[in-house]
Amino acid sequence: MDLNRIVAQSLRVGVLVSAVLSLLGLSLWALGGFGSVSVPVVLSVGVIFRLAFAGDLTGIVYLGVIVLIATPIFRVAISSIYFAAERDRAYAGITILVLGMLLLALYSGAAG
Amino acid sequence: MLVVSPFEVLSIFLMSILAGLVGAVFGLGGGILIIPFLTLVEGVPVPYAVGASIVSVVATSSASAATYVQDRLTNLRLGMFLEVGTVLGAITGAFVAAFLAPRILLVLFGILLIYASTIMIVGRRVDFPSGVVPDRISRRLRLGGEYFDPATGATSRYEVTNTLRTLSISGISGIVSGLLGIGGGIIGVPTMNLLSKVPVKVASATSNFMIGVTAAASASVYFVRGDVQPLLVAPLMVGVVVGAAVGTRLLRRTPPLRVKLLFAILLVTVSVAMILKGFFPQIVL
Repeated sequence: MDLNRIVAQSLRVGVLVSAVLSLLGLSLWALGGFGSVSVPVVLSVGVIFRLAFAGDLTGIVYLGVIVLIATPIFRVAISSIYFAAERDRAYAGITILVLGMLLLALYSGAAG
Repeated sequence: MLVVSPFEVLSIFLMSILAGLVGAVFGLGGGILIIPFLTLVEGVPVPYAVGASIVSVVATSSASAATYVQDRLTNLRLGMFLEVGTVLGAITGAFVAAFLAPRILLVLFGILLIYASTIMIVGRRVDFPSGVVPDRISRRLRLGGEYFDPATGATSRYEVTNTLRTLSISGISGIVSGLLGIGGGIIGVPTMNLLSKVPVKVASATSNFMIGVTAAASASVYFVRGDVQPLLVAPLMVGVVVGAAVGTRLLRRTPPLRVKLLFAILLVTVSVAMILKGFFPQIVL
């Protein structure tokens, strides 16, 4: 399969899922009478999933944010797999290096 | 707690359509429009404005990149290679942010932008010169490419040169991006176009492609910190996707030299605003 198509499709799906979740969140807000919205003090993927599946507005929008942030990172990961499968050493190395730095940033961001 | 009215959400949504459009056409994330709008017009505190903006930068760039990659306008190899510089820079920027006076940074950024605007204006009559000789790294990594431009109806073959210098400037733009919470396309596009000799539309498309990754790294930091407010970010995530859909169609039809001229005008405006803000910090831009 062609790398252009894989990358384009994964980006498109990620962006659309996050936009739909945002719209869903905004609709819930409108149905609830445009009240004020609270943000959980402790943020973790587990907390966000629990809130989202309980139908909480913040949880649903945050799930969209997580999907969105994960989208370009997923794009780098899938590219490195593609280049490795093509035995293109230079680009497999480049994409794995970028992926490593991104995961490091995520980890240090989550830790700090 | 931040109180947001339905009217504010609607106006953020409408403005984000414009930001998504401008971002898609010029290879930017759109943060340069969103941050001043949220702070100046909506009165949102700066950390929340930057937090919401950096998330919407990921949305604008990923949405427009999806179209450009499909159209084969994006130079995937060049983008992935330069990402080594932008991501390393963004992480460095996020770490050193605490030790630098923001005013000095803004003035330096403004000077860098004025330099970029000058070369963009000087080089406005030629989109990409013929007879470019690729350097060793460019040949080794097969960075050159070709693209079809519907506005001119021609398929053009281009080579990429000055690879190492472009990589270093990508590193600097990554640092700026990590420090200021923007995507960095405003430096990346002129650099790819004028230093690497990549056609401006390819530079814009490739910049959109790279920005998503750079901004995702910074966005996760702001998100974990709690600076991403759901009611600010939700209308942005929807609006920029609508704007980017219009913007990608617009770039397809616009002649390349007009894209360059408009980009130069945008650059000059932003650099004057940045320098003013550096000298007069009480102005929120």
